[in-house]
Amino acid sequence: MQPPEEPRGQDDGAEPAASGRDGAVSLADESPETVRFSALSPVSRLVIAVGVGLATVLTSWHLAAAFLFVAPENTVTGEYGQTIRDYIYPELEQNWKLFAPNPLQQNVDVEVRAEYRTPDGKLETTEWINLSGIDYEHIRHNLAPSHTAQNMLRRAWDFFDNSHTDGRPNGMRGELSGAYVHRIALLRLSELMDVDTVERLQLRSAIRRVDAPQWSEENIDTSASYNELDWWTVRDNDRPSGALAPDKPAEDEQ
Amino acid sequence: MSSDSARHLGAGDQAAAEGAAPAGNRQPSPFAGLGEKFDSSLARGVSNITRRALGPYQTAIVRIGFAFVWLAFMLREFPHRHVLYGPDSPWGHDLAVRLLNDNHAFTVLFWSDDRAFFELVYLLGIAVCVALLLGWRTRLMTVLFMITVLSLQNRSVFMGDGGDNVVHLMALYLVLSRCSQVWSLDARRARRAAERGVPATRDPAGVLLWALCGLVLALAQLTGFATTLALFDEHGPILSFWEFPGLGWGGIFWGLWLIYGGWWAVRRFAPGEPRLVGEMIANIIHNAGLLVIMVQVCIIYSAAGWYKIQGSRWQDGTAVHYPLNLDYFTPWPDLTEQLGNVGMLVMVLTYGTVFVQVAFPFALLNRKAKNILLFLMIGEHIGIALLLGLPFFSLAMIAMDSVFLPTVFLVWLGRQAGSPVRRLLGRRGAEPGTAPAAGAAPAKGVTGAEAPVPPQAAPAAAQQGEPRIPAQASAEDGKGSGSGGEPDDRRPAWADRG
Repeated sequence: MQPPEEPRGQDDGAEPAASGRDGAVSLADESPETVRFSALSPVSRLVIAVGVGLATVLTSWHLAAAFLFVAPENTVTGEYGQTIRDYIYPELEQNWKLFAPNPLQQNVDVEVRAEYRTPDGKLETTEWINLSGIDYEHIRHNLAPSHTAQNMLRRAWDFFDNSHTDGRPNGMRGELSGAYVHRIALLRLSELMDVDTVERLQLRSAIRRVDAPQWSEENIDTSASYNELDWWTVRDNDRPSGALAPDKPAEDEQ
Repeated sequence: MSSDSARHLGAGDQAAAEGAAPAGNRQPSPFAGLGEKFDSSLARGVSNITRRALGPYQTAIVRIGFAFVWLAFMLREFPHRHVLYGPDSPWGHDLAVRLLNDNHAFTVLFWSDDRAFFELVYLLGIAVCVALLLGWRTRLMTVLFMITVLSLQNRSVFMGDGGDNVVHLMALYLVLSRCSQVWSLDARRARRAAERGVPATRDPAGVLLWALCGLVLALAQLTGFATTLALFDEHGPILSFWEFPGLGWGGIFWGLWLIYGGWWAVRRFAPGEPRLVGEMIANIIHNAGLLVIMVQVCIIYSAAGWYKIQGSRWQDGTAVHYPLNLDYFTPWPDLTEQLGNVGMLVMVLTYGTVFVQVAFPFALLNRKAKNILLFLMIGEHIGIALLLGLPFFSLAMIAMDSVFLPTVFLVWLGRQAGSPVRRLLGRRGAEPGTAPAAGAAPAKGVTGAEAPVPPQAAPAAAQQGEPRIPAQASAEDGKGSGSGGEPDDRRPAWADRG
């Protein structure tokens, strides 16, 4: 069997610099790969040991916290959940339930209609306009759809949905999400009409289940079910600010 | 091999493994010598994580991958930048500020809604991606990358998807890593300095950059512009989580600034022991970061897989059919609708996805299995990119997966990518630094004869005493493997089986 070797510093002894006399003189030429720990002073070794220890503890803590944050509710998170969340939020937040436990099985379209004042002072209401449909137009045949089309409205609606109970906002997040989805609607409408005349908005979701695959015997009702929100009175700061980027050509959806 | 020598950190390094189980040992107990084995493997472990920054190619490809993803994303969204993260966003500054005051996420865009400031941040973000991609001033750029990524994403947190989430995490982790050991301008600069015998600390541009960063940070804080970093407000010192003013992000930035300055000073004025200790601490942090990245990948796939197992659609083999029929994820609806109705295909993809995701962490124990799964996963991500219209998500996942790519493959890839580039630039081909070549520490055990750097290429550099140069590391390696194959097992399997 291989005889016990000296650490590499000496092994590479052909080189004068690496031959590791224990004096500090030669240490300037040493690399951390070759230097013998025993050639370092006790203080240095202590520093390295403390470094290894700290790194071990912090890494273990971080990984354990990340794991437990991602894992389902369990005994440990029941006890230490708050500590873990305090550590993870806000920058280490993560959610990896990608298409899980079940993939989304319905198309959620967000539609809007606007009550606006005509030049002669009358109030009129537009037809329902499918805002998601505008997104789909931008996504179709696009190799790299923009987040503005793929995520903005879709995630805003999720946010709204998750921060409302029976149409009532839950705290600050509920309020924020309400303003947010209505501002998105106004931004989209601004490509179709003069939003300065809009006084109120109403949003609704049209949910259509995706049909089961052909070979399946499941019978799925794919007709839309609608869920209307209350009318939203437009405030001035809800309207897109002056320089809103007219990136997308106005497209008449319906 | 006595426990005596093992007690010294690393002194038992090589002695270790063999000594513990002498050939003539008749003892049947499988636990014989376990104590010594433990001691020696502990010593070897400590040696592994202090002596070198592991996975030079893997961390470099992760760096390049994420810089590329975020660069491509920022360029793609350039026309939409104001609506996504800027002053024209429906997620207005007023809304964002209310949320940020609640969740305390970090973003410089909290400080001002000014259009010019936003443009500056966005353009800086693009420039930083380019620099990080090229490995120019990498340690600074990883910090700036983190700042710009967090700033944009946290400004409009509801714009992101899983891909953004991955970029966000990796932007944090990359700060810990020495990810410019290969394939970087930094490595090239160090190599050239070493060739010319110029000390690496003779670096006026670096010093200037460092001073500039300090100045900008100080100005941001002192003028009160950086409200979330402010040390004082009208009520006096702002006390943060540890009841010290300025701890939190301000403290982190100043800490990094001091460390970078201190590292320069140590190399300049104390090139002996303090430098060695600094190197080792940096290696420890790098290796911890690398481990975190790797385990993070495992957490992602495990979670994705294990939650899927619980879903009825993943059980009945139809899950893949549904995303292929969601309007938000079907840029090619005619094609995907057709695909979604091919029963066997959907079934195979559905079960295959779950198999691969659940199996991935365990496959890391076996090099071949790991590589096959990596291949499958990258293939699946490419499919997702094209069919579901999620190119940036998929690229981010691939960049993340690439931390597990085998060194042999990466070295080969580097050579393939490198030669046309060099030809284009008309460089001498045999530069020792053909970055891929150098520092191939992990490669040598695997490739043997194929060891990418001719052992004689570097000894000259090796004497120069600037240890961050990959060429030098490879010189050591060349020699190491020459003189009786210093064993592969000096590195942990998770790092170099890579």
